[in-house]
Amino acid sequence: MLARCDADGNKVLVVGGDTLAGMGLPPERVDLILNTTALDKLLEYVPTDLTLSAQSGMAVQAITTLLAQHGQFVPFDAPRPQYATLGGTLAAGWLGPRRHLYGRVRDYVLGSTIVLADGSVARAGGIVVKNVAGYDMSRLYVGSFGTLGVLASVNLKTLAAPRQARVFLARLPEGTRARACDHVAARLAIRPAAAFWIEGFPNAVDGADGIDGRMLILLEGSDALLERATRDLRSTLGRAGVPETRVVDAGAREAFQRVVDAYVASLGERSVTYRFGSQPDDAERRAIAVRELATRHELRCETIVDVMNGDVVMRVSALDSRALGSVIETFDDALHDSEPRAQVIASAHPHRSSLRVWGEPPATIERMRELKRRFDPNNTLNAGRFVGGI
Amino acid sequence: MLRQRLVDALGPDAVKTTPEDLAVYAFDAYTDGRLPSAVVLPSSAREVSAAVKIARDLDEPIVPRGAGTGLCGGAVPVEGGVVISFTRMNRILELDERNRRARVQSGVVNLDLSKHTARSGLFYAPDPSSQKISTIGGNIATNAGGPHCLSYGTTVNHVLALEVVDERGEIFVTSIDDAGYDLTAVLVGSEGTLGIVTSAWVRLLSLPESVRVWVVAFGEIEAASEAVSAIVGAGIVPTALEMMDSVITQAVEAAFGAGYPTDAAAVLLIENAGFEDDMDACEAAIRDIATRHGALSWRSARTAAERDALWAGRKGAAGATGRIAPNYYTQDVCVPRSKLPQALRAIEGAASEHHITVGNVFHAGDGNLHPLLMYDKRDLDQVAAVVETGNIILQSAIDLGGTISGEHGIGFEKRGAMTRVYSTADLATMARVRDVFDPRRALNPEKIFPSGSRCPEVSPP
Repeated sequence: MLARCDADGNKVLVVGGDTLAGMGLPPERVDLILNTTALDKLLEYVPTDLTLSAQSGMAVQAITTLLAQHGQFVPFDAPRPQYATLGGTLAAGWLGPRRHLYGRVRDYVLGSTIVLADGSVARAGGIVVKNVAGYDMSRLYVGSFGTLGVLASVNLKTLAAPRQARVFLARLPEGTRARACDHVAARLAIRPAAAFWIEGFPNAVDGADGIDGRMLILLEGSDALLERATRDLRSTLGRAGVPETRVVDAGAREAFQRVVDAYVASLGERSVTYRFGSQPDDAERRAIAVRELATRHELRCETIVDVMNGDVVMRVSALDSRALGSVIETFDDALHDSEPRAQVIASAHPHRSSLRVWGEPPATIERMRELKRRFDPNNTLNAGRFVGGI
Repeated sequence: MLRQRLVDALGPDAVKTTPEDLAVYAFDAYTDGRLPSAVVLPSSAREVSAAVKIARDLDEPIVPRGAGTGLCGGAVPVEGGVVISFTRMNRILELDERNRRARVQSGVVNLDLSKHTARSGLFYAPDPSSQKISTIGGNIATNAGGPHCLSYGTTVNHVLALEVVDERGEIFVTSIDDAGYDLTAVLVGSEGTLGIVTSAWVRLLSLPESVRVWVVAFGEIEAASEAVSAIVGAGIVPTALEMMDSVITQAVEAAFGAGYPTDAAAVLLIENAGFEDDMDACEAAIRDIATRHGALSWRSARTAAERDALWAGRKGAAGATGRIAPNYYTQDVCVPRSKLPQALRAIEGAASEHHITVGNVFHAGDGNLHPLLMYDKRDLDQVAAVVETGNIILQSAIDLGGTISGEHGIGFEKRGAMTRVYSTADLATMARVRDVFDPRRALNPEKIFPSGSRCPEVSPP
């Protein structure tokens, strides 16, 4: 089917669970939609080998549930995992907040099968955990946004799941934000699995803001480790001027997932969510600078800072779509002056395509364009959706 | 002409063209070598760039070289050309403790980096056995592994950004944070065929607060490998899980007196590093499994000195076999962990059928085997037997769902075997990448890919 489209000059849009539809540009033209969700079979799972192979349309949640039954996991940390597909999550290059501890999802891809635009099928890697036979093509396909080929199946390595998880919430009194973020990121011997500074997102994410926002921290490990980690966290936050830290007793994983879901939760047509990366020691400062920029443009700003990895997620919004539309392009320009790499990860606003949704293309964009030309010379797959017009 | 232009650009000290000098760079740790046309020892990316431009002008291929410890001929100038040696680019440029990363020139020796960062409570995790000599650049070229990549991952998991000189001599930078395609990841493990890495940002980890090392002896290799499968299968992933058979332990003890029992058919060297709170439970769990699989003895290293001695013995194992035979040949196959027992049986069978002494020392936790086949290269019958044995072992691993190289790379040696694990279409995708970065095939030619393979000009029907 792909071969025919390619030969006929038709444009194909590849769609998975549509959970990250807020990323990238709308396609130049769509003659055919290739929906991968029917490719949802598990191919092989060998728990004692810590390897799993599945078709790319399998839902992330289905994989997570299966692995959990055997005390294993893969840190996808994707939003809305009941809908997110394996292939889509990988193709979008989604980066989860636990990656400083467990690695990026691409580090778990041992091999893949891809269908190229001309219909040919190619395999990369294998099923073993160490493999240097040739180029690591799977890692090239991860994050390629469906523009080099369609992932048909993926081989993953798995990890033993941590025994326990605990989520902490702390309202931040005035003047404590910078120290709290710094201490959590740098002064805990037992590093949190995830730690966020959050401002806003009142219904989406647990807890209420103090004057300086709130922190949500996920600790994972054995029972013994968690006891010590809890004591350390409380005393460390105390030293940062944060007197009270409460535990979210039931549903630590759900509380964590709500934060991840919030990354791409849009307020209909009246919000745009940006994401940019930073070094952990700089993220909080840069987040505040962008918040001030948003305020100057009369935009409401809600923020999630992943303090362990340095990611900043900001949802800017106005009272309605029209109000957003009148300032968003100016804001987008100003934002990219100070944060050239800021990307849009969620928005339903009609003017989205006029924003720099991928941020400034990297210096190597010409090489990337060449790669695209070699893999998909007729520009059949997801044309125009990706960085630099790819 | 070549010499003069290189000297003009880099100065006479940085250029070698006498036969005696060239001979040093004709070989790496592979069996064969060939003289290059010239060798340069640049001190900066700019000098690398200048050398590449000159080589390109004069149609000479380019062969980047770290310490030359590669086992597959990755640094051998098989078509002559200009060897670019990174010996002099060995500076640690930046150490960012707070953000746990360092920027290093390609010629920095792997172990030197960890020694330097130790003062800040950090270390660089990928630890190939060659780490006392091998360089970060070489490690990046082969996506080097080592015992500790069982838990920490291989080199590609620790590379954050690369500065690269391309085949035209232009310098470009890639980062894993770049939007677009992950060029950083595809460059790691590309064995110098896509670009010449001049420096890199690498990830550092915090030194663990607690380390325990255990030596476990078994009466049968099979039992030991089943224990390994059971440990990993139980979800216990120690920081390292290595196996040595008696051929190896006897050689190691004779050479180093490292502390291994020499009467056991197989010995496991297990390390767990992490938080003190978890150590006892982890030890108990592993010990329980080992006992159930027939472990004869269990010993904990009590001091740092004991631990270091055990590791030195393990990492020096290949060299220690010099007392058994003047030469060894090794494979680097990797099989699913549950297939370890079968793989070891296949190795034993092939070796005994061809009357070759084999010593197994390997990363059991990963299923990454290194059967050392001992021989004397002056005995041509033995050479033939070793080649045949190696071939059988390779095919056995492939038949068990494994790969032909877990960490050493393909280099020159294993090019022909690529078609045993990849189809034409599979190799064509890699050729497309090569066509973008090295269309003339000037960068480390005749490596990785079977000779003459290129992206097919004509599309398949």
